[in-house]
Amino acid sequence: MMADGYTGNVLRVNLSEEKTSVEPLNREWAKEFIGGKGLGARYLFEELKPGTDPLSPENVLSIWTGPLVGTMVPLTSRYAVITKSPQTGTFLDTYAGGYFGPELKYSGFDAVIIKGKAATPSYLYVNDGKAEIRDAKNVWGKDAFKTEEILREEVGEKAARIAGIGPAGEKLSRIAGVTSDITRNAGRGGAGAVFGSKNLKAVVAKGSLGVEVPKMDEFVKMAKHMLLKDVVENPEHAGLVTDGTPIIVDMSQDAAILPTNNWHSGQFDGYKGIDSDALKDRVFVRKKACFACGIACGSWAKVKDGAFKGASTEGPEYETLGLAGSNCGIRNIEAIVKFSEECDRLGLDTISAGAAVGFAMDIYEKGLITNEDTSDLDLRFGNEEAYTKMPEMIAERKSRIGDLLAEGTLLAARKIGKDTEKLVMHAKGSEYPAYDPRGSIGMALAYATSDRGADHNRAWPVASDAYGDGDPWSTEGKAAICHEEQIMKSYKWSMIYCDFYGVSPENMAMYYTAVTGLPADENWLNSVGVRVWNLARAFNVREGFSKKDDTMPERMMSEPLPSGKTKDKTVPRESFDKMLAEYYQLWGWDEDGRPTKKALEEAGLGEIIGKLDYLK
Amino acid sequence: MSKGLKAEVNKCTGCQMCALVCSASHLGKFNPSESMMKVTDLYPEPGEVKLNYCTHCDEHPCAEECPAEAIKLNEALGIYYVDRDECTGCGMCVEVCPYEGCWMDPSESYSIKCDLCGGTPQCVDVCPKGVLKR
Repeated sequence: MMADGYTGNVLRVNLSEEKTSVEPLNREWAKEFIGGKGLGARYLFEELKPGTDPLSPENVLSIWTGPLVGTMVPLTSRYAVITKSPQTGTFLDTYAGGYFGPELKYSGFDAVIIKGKAATPSYLYVNDGKAEIRDAKNVWGKDAFKTEEILREEVGEKAARIAGIGPAGEKLSRIAGVTSDITRNAGRGGAGAVFGSKNLKAVVAKGSLGVEVPKMDEFVKMAKHMLLKDVVENPEHAGLVTDGTPIIVDMSQDAAILPTNNWHSGQFDGYKGIDSDALKDRVFVRKKACFACGIACGSWAKVKDGAFKGASTEGPEYETLGLAGSNCGIRNIEAIVKFSEECDRLGLDTISAGAAVGFAMDIYEKGLITNEDTSDLDLRFGNEEAYTKMPEMIAERKSRIGDLLAEGTLLAARKIGKDTEKLVMHAKGSEYPAYDPRGSIGMALAYATSDRGADHNRAWPVASDAYGDGDPWSTEGKAAICHEEQIMKSYKWSMIYCDFYGVSPENMAMYYTAVTGLPADENWLNSVGVRVWNLARAFNVREGFSKKDDTMPERMMSEPLPSGKTKDKTVPRESFDKMLAEYYQLWGWDEDGRPTKKALEEAGLGEIIGKLDYLK
Repeated sequence: MSKGLKAEVNKCTGCQMCALVCSASHLGKFNPSESMMKVTDLYPEPGEVKLNYCTHCDEHPCAEECPAEAIKLNEALGIYYVDRDECTGCGMCVEVCPYEGCWMDPSESYSIKCDLCGGTPQCVDVCPKGVLKR
């Protein structure tokens, strides 16, 4: 092992042939793409045949760490699942914190790349440079919690870490996530279904090989200093330390962008029952950190009495409170804790599942589905009893509505017909996170241009639009915010920092150098970000995506919000088109939103030009 | 009076910074499984964390019972530490410790227990939640 943060090894798994092998990490690519999102995208672009069905054995499923993972660099010990999304058909990178990422690294691998399909349900056990494909018969059909418990016992390592799927992934739900450490999920885009399609229940990791850096003594001094000064005492983190993301509920209510009753309102009269104070007063147990994190934004919550007594979860986080709370008309945090626990247990993404249930409630109230479809569940907004049963209906594909929603909201609507598609709030089939663009016009662009479909972790203009002093409805500068943040997030996710570390580019560069021994500065990181975002875009264009897919739902234009600061507001089409055109220009892409030869060459991606038909 | 670390474990969030800095300063690499501080999260209920470390108890049965006499007194600190060169890896100390304060390294060739970093424990310094005290 070189003392540069990397293990230098990639584990290859072919489930069809029941073979594993180890190969050296492509060091040239590592220098250009770092790890996580970037390096995962580079391997995927190279190895995935265009047009591959994401749920076929030919899809490539990879799990990535990065050089910083497993070191004392705070808030970076995460992992990325990188594959082609079965929900959107786009490039997919989805992340989780917890403890699995560093454990995989300690077991001797920077990444695991999985191809093929196992003949029977299997899991992968990785331990100190060795890998074994094992029979998963004892855990197939089991939920994600039970699976962790049984697999720890089976491999005889109490401290093994597990990333796996519940019934949702097994049953190929396109909104199934990958669950690790019980409550940490690589949730978005349906990565869990890719596991399921390969008959892969889980990856179990235990490692004691460690990670080395060039100058350990200096490194430890630096890391201790930074942990105190840049994490613990950083004023940007104060709200996360005391409250965590639930603090955003009140902010969104005030800005009138809190998704309510399937996005028919931006304000929820029951918000006081689901906000950060409700969480702290009613269900909070203790704070919980991920590996190497000095913030501990996570809250262990447990329901003390009532119908959901005993339910517990880590969170719920803001997106869950929005999509699975106000957007379903749910007024009590206890019900959301139960819903969130069910989603984790069954392996569902809470954003997509919450959005799907809100949509189902909307069309149920409109009479477009009936009790026949819901197996007599009274699916009105706010009905906690029906609502908390929905994760199981979806994950196990029970009843017609459960089976439909397991496909994700958009595909469900297309199958239901009756013009229900116009009620789905999504971009590229990925359900909107909990910020209504009608009170933050920049988010319409952020969602439309996100590489994995609608998303809040690629650009977040809502910070200035709705929570800061920006003008939420002016198009000015919004394309620039998306462009700039997409670059920054691209390199930030290539080092797999947590979104909540308010780390400066200078410090990110400093950490990178301290771990790898290689020079870095903000300019270089920007060049990595530009390269990675263009690569993900090129991947999507190769899959047939272009301007026609960078859209917002028609409702954004035609349905004004009813109250508060967003009363009577929409996102006018001409505003959206203007931002999009400006955005393509900033990236140097053509009018159809496709990276030009020049843009790719400047991004250092000359070598992929020959693999893009539209440039021939 | 125990001379070891004190921990307010109810404040611990399980981040393992203590285990990271411990392995870094003793082994020159980041490897919590070889750390002298063991952090165990008790999933899924109730989200609590267990810390294992040598409390440097007055009775020090580990040193008393060690057949190789490899657990030696650091006179300046008045605590017992494992001399890895002399430890035979028999595991007697692990067996007799009433506090689960020592354990075998992953290769099972010697036992691991806190040595207070020669007087300035790194983990106390690094803990972001102020859980550990000397």
